[in-house]
Amino acid sequence: GQDPLFIFPKDKLVEEGSNVTICYVSKSHQNNISCYLEGVRMQGEQLDPNVSVFNLNHVAFIRETGTNIYCKPGQGDGIKGTVLFVSKVLQEPKDFSCETQDFMTLNCTWDPGSDTGLLKQLSQSYTLFESFSGKKTLCKPKSWCLWQVAPESQDMYNFTLTAENYLRKRSVHLLFNLTHRVHPMAPFNILFKNVSATSATMTWKVHSIGKYYTLLCQVELYGEGKVTQHNVSVKVDGAHLFSGLEPDTEYLAQVRCANGDYFWKWSEWTHQNFTTAEAAPSEAPDVWRNVKTVQGRCVVTLFWKPLSKPQAHGKILFYNIVIEYLDRTSVSEVLSIPAPASGTELPLNQCSSQIRITASNSVGTSPASVLVVSREPGNEEVEEERVKGTEDGFPLSWNPQPRHVTGYLVEWCEQPRDPPCDLQWKNLGPNVTSTVVSSDAFRPGVRYNFRIYGISTERVPYLLARKTGYSQELAPSDNPQVVMTNLTSHSFTLSWKNYSTESQTSFIQGYHVYLKSKAGRCHSGSEKAVLSDDVVCCKYKIDNPEQKTFVVENLQPESFYEFLVTPYTSVGEGPHDAFAKVTTPDEYSPTLIRILLPTVFCILLIMITCYLKSQWMKEKCYPDIPDPYKSSVLSLIKSKENPHLTIMNIKDCVPDSIEVLNKQEGTRKSLTETESTKPTYLYLLPTEKRYSSPGPCICFENFTYNQAASDSASCGHVPVPPKAPPSQLGLLTSPENLLKALEKNYMNSLGEIPAGETSLNYVSQLASPMSGDMSNLPTNPPEPALCSEYKMQMAIPLGLASPPSSGSSSLSSITLLDEGEHY
Amino acid sequence: MKVLAAGVVPLLLVLHWKHGAGTPLPITPVNATCATRHPCHSNLMNQIRNQLAQLNGSANALFILYYTAQGEPFPNNLDKLCGPNVTDFPPFHANGTEKTRLVELYRIIAYLGASLGNITRDQKVLNPNALSLHSKLNATADILRGLLSNVLCRLCNKYHVAHVDVAYGPDTSGKDVFQKKKLGCQLLGKYKQVIAVVAQAF
Repeated sequence: GQDPLFIFPKDKLVEEGSNVTICYVSKSHQNNISCYLEGVRMQGEQLDPNVSVFNLNHVAFIRETGTNIYCKPGQGDGIKGTVLFVSKVLQEPKDFSCETQDFMTLNCTWDPGSDTGLLKQLSQSYTLFESFSGKKTLCKPKSWCLWQVAPESQDMYNFTLTAENYLRKRSVHLLFNLTHRVHPMAPFNILFKNVSATSATMTWKVHSIGKYYTLLCQVELYGEGKVTQHNVSVKVDGAHLFSGLEPDTEYLAQVRCANGDYFWKWSEWTHQNFTTAEAAPSEAPDVWRNVKTVQGRCVVTLFWKPLSKPQAHGKILFYNIVIEYLDRTSVSEVLSIPAPASGTELPLNQCSSQIRITASNSVGTSPASVLVVSREPGNEEVEEERVKGTEDGFPLSWNPQPRHVTGYLVEWCEQPRDPPCDLQWKNLGPNVTSTVVSSDAFRPGVRYNFRIYGISTERVPYLLARKTGYSQELAPSDNPQVVMTNLTSHSFTLSWKNYSTESQTSFIQGYHVYLKSKAGRCHSGSEKAVLSDDVVCCKYKIDNPEQKTFVVENLQPESFYEFLVTPYTSVGEGPHDAFAKVTTPDEYSPTLIRILLPTVFCILLIMITCYLKSQWMKEKCYPDIPDPYKSSVLSLIKSKENPHLTIMNIKDCVPDSIEVLNKQEGTRKSLTETESTKPTYLYLLPTEKRYSSPGPCICFENFTYNQAASDSASCGHVPVPPKAPPSQLGLLTSPENLLKALEKNYMNSLGEIPAGETSLNYVSQLASPMSGDMSNLPTNPPEPALCSEYKMQMAIPLGLASPPSSGSSSLSSITLLDEGEHY
Repeated sequence: MKVLAAGVVPLLLVLHWKHGAGTPLPITPVNATCATRHPCHSNLMNQIRNQLAQLNGSANALFILYYTAQGEPFPNNLDKLCGPNVTDFPPFHANGTEKTRLVELYRIIAYLGASLGNITRDQKVLNPNALSLHSKLNATADILRGLLSNVLCRLCNKYHVAHVDVAYGPDTSGKDVFQKKKLGCQLLGKYKQVIAVVAQAF
């Protein structure tokens, strides 16, 4: 051909472990042709420049699709190859065996071993040959074959099983008697008859293997965790009576059979379940009680444990309670509590009573549990003892009782922190004086209380001992809530009265009070302690767990302290994480407070009194209008200087008139520019001769004035004429205008006073110079002094009423009213 | 090597025309009238393009599955064992007229269909457990059959071409196992290369 390279043999089939020679022939003299088997280069032998051979020893089976062998020249791309098919070695059939179930067919089985099928070779075939009959059959399945039994004529069989493939043939032989190879079929139609509470009869059928053969059947019964086994000989139908069964119990029964004459193999199991009938409960319920008095009446709470399955003998339907009062004064009571209740509360008419409890199922009633409730509560004053729990539970022991007891009982609460506390109890015999109480419900750090009762022959329980303990003590997880009181500069008091020692995670042995201070000194009664964070503090120890107050003393005033109260137990202290802070007060502050507070109080009291009585005080001390009759000055003058001085009577006061110079508004004249103005007269009070005169006048009844005084007083109070021009009114009523007027007067006073420009200014002395519009007067300093001037309220002779000294500047400038212009 | 062998024709008839794709071309007389058994699809060229794209999308996966199933030395000597040097593969000119391209496509599909049939047959014997490969080969052959029918419709309806001379690849039935594996690998390598060009041309 045209190919430059040929490889031989092509598609060779060999058995695993064979030796194979591969050769190639090339057209050209190439020395650098390399050949590979599954990628691994083969080392060959060059026979001549064109031919090389490769000897492969013990070739291995790699895959069913063959092993690729190829060669490629050093140059060019002409890869040539061949496929070597390596077959697995045909194995001899193993475990060749034949048996019959019905004497009609023989079922022969064997283990064929590995399959030798390949692309170039079919899987091995099996042939069954029986030498006595000379029959032969080709077995299509690889691991079993059926052989028809010759009827009644042949007992012995000699089989040859031959396995064959393209490369090899293997055979095995088997000689046997047919009756020794009987493998019965599984029994069928299992039935149970006469099923009672304690017995049942099982029947079953078997497939016949001929009337001359007897089957041996094996019966097994599973129930209540036990297995019982029985052998039964069977011809056609089998039957077996199960006895000693438990009532109301489910059982599993199964049966299998074999040839009874010559055992070969058991048949398959056939099984069936059945349940026995119910029976009356065999045991009295385990009952305990709790007695309490509610409003003077005994209330009994009964608890009972559900009967176990072997005790109940069926489904419990009711719990029956009969209360018999021991003094026979009350009629017995009968109660029926439906299951699955596990307790009930009974208010009793009388405490002394006997309670009988039974359990009932559909068949009958159990024996009764008897409890006697006595009015006497028993020895409740038994001292509580501590008990240490172990991994196995709480070991409890008590002293044997001198009087006869029918037994002992231990009660405890499994959930002491959560009411209802899940009351538990344990009955013990009369000769027992110790027990170990264990429960999966016990938790570390929970305090369990145990009460041990003795049960008298009259069924009356009485308390023998009280024990308390922890299954495992845990260090306290919390510290008490501490209240600080009585803080002074040298001490304070700590109190944690709400801290319950009973509900902690271990037995509280006492308390440690830690005190941190900057000084770092520890006084007597305390010791230095180093906390986990290397902080040094003082530690006070309280050995009595019921002492829940502590006074920290010997403190420095105005100092900062931190304190912590933590319980200590046999397994450690509480956490050191929450120190409370306190600063002691100043040493003198309390004394100062004792003085200052009353003082301030007194001052305040006086001030309030003064305020409330201010009017009275004013009238007494500085009235606005002094009452001459009440004036002490008067009496002083009277007595010492002028005994003739008297107080002016109002009736003696002659109303006077005031001349008002009515000048035009805005006529401010310079000193040189004089303008004669026509004076206007205002009559404050009409004189006798002017009563009839119709001129405009305003009369002020001022009883405090006499004429002379009024003449000498130069006040800015201007009488308003009835028909005064608006300008004049405006000038006088507004402060600004008044100021102008005053200013004008002041200016006038600086120069020569013209006779025609004088004006009358009148100020009533009833008005305070600092009140009303006059408050603006200080803008003109000399004037208010004059206006507020107080004139002694005395009647003095006119001659004595001399004008004030004209040398005083401001006053002279205001006192413009000339004597001659007075009317 | 061009083969119009009479022994191959019956096989091709079974493989390619059993679903009614059209009248078998090789035995159609030269002057026979162009007629299709079924009316052609209205959007025939789109269908042809989609089928070509589908083949192009799966060609590489088929190639990988094939050479992986053959074992060493095929995966590591693709250039020497699976190179696309199939000398008698029908030519294709992408710059030709649509009619020319369709005629050439027809020849390619016919060639591929026959070769794929040989490969499928061989692999069922050589690699009976390579089920993925078998599945992929069958799926590709199915698409090729549909494509051949559509191309024939187009040629017949638009260009009134009733006869196209086709050539087939070598029959592998008489070859040794290694040669069967190698020829199949070469054909699939060539197919992967050509189908990309053809799909681009349409």
